Amino acid sequence: MIHEPYNVIEENKLVRASLDGDKKAFGEIVNRYQKMVARTVKGMLGDTVFAEDIGQEVFIKLFYSLPEFRGESKLSTYIQKIAVNLTLNEIKRRKRFFSMFTHKANNEMHEFEIADHDIEERKEASEIVNKALLAMDPKFRIIVTMRMLQGYSTKETAEILDLPIGTVLSRLSRAQEQLRNILEKL
Amino acid sequence: MNTSEIKKLIMSSLREDANTREVSRRMEEEGISYNFSEKFGDKVLDKLFSAGLTVKREVEFVKYMNFAFYRIALTGVAAIVILLISIFLMQGSLSFNSFLGISDNYDESIVCLLTGN
Repeated sequence: MIHEPYNVIEENKLVRASLDGDKKAFGEIVNRYQKMVARTVKGMLGDTVFAEDIGQEVFIKLFYSLPEFRGESKLSTYIQKIAVNLTLNEIKRRKRFFSMFTHKANNEMHEFEIADHDIEERKEASEIVNKALLAMDPKFRIIVTMRMLQGYSTKETAEILDLPIGTVLSRLSRAQEQLRNILEKL
Repeated sequence: MNTSEIKKLIMSSLREDANTREVSRRMEEEGISYNFSEKFGDKVLDKLFSAGLTVKREVEFVKYMNFAFYRIALTGVAAIVILLISIFLMQGSLSFNSFLGISDNYDESIVCLLTGN
């Protein structure tokens, strides 16, 4: 039983209390990490209601997988991994769904195509970021999201994505190229 | 911050030696922040704990069903034992014919019963 205010309690105590069924303790975990999850999910999927659903799924999955969390990595890394996996699965699911209706020679289908005439003269910073991200290939988009929105280093990005650092670096340079082309059109 | 500065900032995050924490902080300063709706936390907890309640109810239902099954099974076994004892007392044996109630009939009498002759 926790007697201190929840917002000052250490992470591992919150995890243990959540495992004991303390609703408020898990609520505090959600509170602490929802913004981080929002950056990943909304950065990858765009600001849609689906993104909110995926965000909820992240915490539901976290709740059920808490008994497997051994504390070897930080809780934030663990949550981030769940968020990345669910988001990439959602992108794959959408891709499969849309491929039933469209026949594209190019497999790298993007959710949003950039139309030059659609871009206003004066753009909001967030609009530019969102359009640029959504126009990217998902495997590069996740790298950009991790670095630009979450502020992770190459090493941290590699750990979260379960990729070798070399792969992250090569994707980073290809992402740079793709992003440069996209930003030129914006 | 104008458009070209934003673009520069975005590109800078991808440089190998970039200070990504600083880029992320500046992005947030420029209003590039992502949030879920206000009641996000409540929705998550509702989904989790109301689902838990359903599971608990399902478990209880299965428990009651198991209990009911044992009672019904025991009653059934007791009924079968009583039936066997009564057949043995009435027919003097527990043969198949005794079960069917035709142990006292001869083949000829069955033919008479079936054909009416």
